[in-house]
Amino acid sequence: MGRAWKIALAGEGGQGVQSVAQILAEAANEQGREALYIPNFGVEQRGGVSVAYLQIGDVAIGAPKFQTADIVVALSDRAIHRTRKYVGPETVFVYDSGIEGITDDDLPDNAKKVFGIPALEVAKNELHPRVFNVIIMGAVVKATDVVPEEKVKEAIEKKLGYKFEQNPKLREMNFKAIERGAQLVAEAL
Amino acid sequence: MAEKVIQEEKRVFMTGNEVVAWGALAANAEIMYGYPITPQNEIMHYWTRLAPKNEREFLQTEDELSAGFTTNGGVMAGRRAFTATAGPGNTLMQEPISMAEAMRLPTVTIVQQRGGPSTATVIYSQQEVTLTTLGGNGEGLRVVYSTATHQELFDYTIKAFNTAWKYRFPTFVLADGYQAKMRESLVMYDPASKGIEMFPTEPFVGKEGTPGVDREPGHFRNTYNVEEELYDVLQEHFADYNKMTPEVAEYKEIGSKESKVVVIAHGVVARGAKAAVEDLRAEGFNVGFFRPVTLRPLAVPELREVANNADKILVVESANGQMDRLLKEAIYGCSAEMLSLFKPGVGITAEEIEARVREIV
Repeated sequence: MGRAWKIALAGEGGQGVQSVAQILAEAANEQGREALYIPNFGVEQRGGVSVAYLQIGDVAIGAPKFQTADIVVALSDRAIHRTRKYVGPETVFVYDSGIEGITDDDLPDNAKKVFGIPALEVAKNELHPRVFNVIIMGAVVKATDVVPEEKVKEAIEKKLGYKFEQNPKLREMNFKAIERGAQLVAEAL
Repeated sequence: MAEKVIQEEKRVFMTGNEVVAWGALAANAEIMYGYPITPQNEIMHYWTRLAPKNEREFLQTEDELSAGFTTNGGVMAGRRAFTATAGPGNTLMQEPISMAEAMRLPTVTIVQQRGGPSTATVIYSQQEVTLTTLGGNGEGLRVVYSTATHQELFDYTIKAFNTAWKYRFPTFVLADGYQAKMRESLVMYDPASKGIEMFPTEPFVGKEGTPGVDREPGHFRNTYNVEEELYDVLQEHFADYNKMTPEVAEYKEIGSKESKVVVIAHGVVARGAKAAVEDLRAEGFNVGFFRPVTLRPLAVPELREVANNADKILVVESANGQMDRLLKEAIYGCSAEMLSLFKPGVGITAEEIEARVREIV
C-alpha cells in the first residue's frame, strides 16, 4: 500500500492536458484504484496555462492538490515556469524538447531527473498533431506505471469509441500514439 | 413520482456537481430553482439533463434573490425543493434564507464556496462559512453540513432534505469549488436500500378544511407588530433548535480526546489534515484530528472535551479564521492554546499542515 502517485500536467489551453488527466483517472478508477483529478480553472474562457492535478493510489486520496509532484509534465514555455514550484528532490520533470528558447536555466535544477521528449515533433511528423496529448498520455503511463497501457486504451475506447466506429484509423492512430509516447520515455530513461 | 432512480448500488467516477444532482434525484427532490454562478453551474446543468427523464422540474430565475424565494414557495407548496449557489450569489440568497428561518421553511441549499469578498475568484475557498452559518438578519436558525468527499456530497445531499423537513430549519450542504470540479469515485445508492426513509413532505398552505374550524390555522409569519410577540416566537424557535442540536450535530475524529495537539479542519481541508495527522501518528507523534461535519450547530460538548484535554489546538482553514471564530465561541473558557494555519481563498496541502504541526508539537 504505497502512497498515491502525484502527477501535475501543464500546457497551453487547447493542448489537451485536462483530457489526458481525465482519461488516466478514469482508467485507474476502472481498474478499481482510487483516483482524484482536479483541473485548475479561472475566469478566462480560453488561453492561459492549463494545469491538471492527478493522484492515483490504492487508498482514498487526501487533499486534492499537492505541494510536490512525483512527476511533472510541462508542454510549453509558460507551463515550464508555472510548474517549477511542484518540483522537489524526488520529482521527475518531463518537458517537450521542441519548445523553443528553453535553456538549462529555465529548467528546474532540484529535480531527481529532468528530460525532454520530442512529442510535438513525433505528433507532427509521424502521426497527427491532434494526438499530441495522447503521446503525452503514453509518456505518463510509461514514466509512472500508475495504470497499465491496456486500461488506458480501454478508457480511450470508452471516450472516443463512437468516433472510432466511423473511422477505425483513428483508433489505430490513438493507440499508436500511446505506444510512441511510452517509447519516447523508455529511450530518454 | 417515477420509479427508483438508482436501481442498485454502483461505483461511479464524476465531478462533485454531478454528484449533487444525482444525490438530489436519489432523495426524490422534485424541483430545483437556480441562477447560474461558478463553480456550481453544473449542478443546474446536470439537474436539467436528469430532471425531464425523471419527472422532476427546474426553474431558472432572474437572480439568487428570486431563486431563494421561489425555493421558499416550493417548500410551502409541499415540494421537496432545493437551490444551489456560490459567492456573491450566496450573499443575495441570505435574504430569502432569513425568511425561511423566520417561517421555519425546510429549504435545502447547496453552496460551492469560491474566493471572496465579491467576485474575487471563481475557484475555491472556505470563506463562505460565516455567511452560510450566520448570514441572515437573525440568530442563524439553520443547519450546515460541511462535506469533504464525493461520497459525503451524495450522502449529505440526501440527508439535508430529511433534516430540513424533519426539524423545519433551512439546511445547507456547504462544499467548495474543488469539490465541485474534481472527479473521484463514490458509491451511489437508492436511500431505501440503506434503510434511509425520506421524511414525508406536506404543503404548508392550501390544506383541506376551514382554518380555525376544521384545523389549526397556519400562521407562517416573518412580520410582527409587537416586540414581545417576536421575542416569544423566537424563544420557541431557540428551544426547538436546542432540542434538535444533539440529534443533528456531527463530527469525525482521530484520537482527539487523548492527544496533546489536535488539528481541527472542516470540509475539503479536513482531507489534508487527516492525512497529515495519520502520517504524524504513524511516526509516533501525540497528535489528534477533529473535524466538525456540522458547522451549525457544532458538536459543542465534544469540542469542549477536546479543548480541555489538549495543550494546543491547530485550526486549519482556507479562510482567515471563519471556522476559528465559531470554535472559539464553542470552547470559550477551555484550557487549550489556539493556533492557526489560515490561507484564505487558497487550497491547503497535507504537506503544509504536517510542517506546521511539526513546528508546534
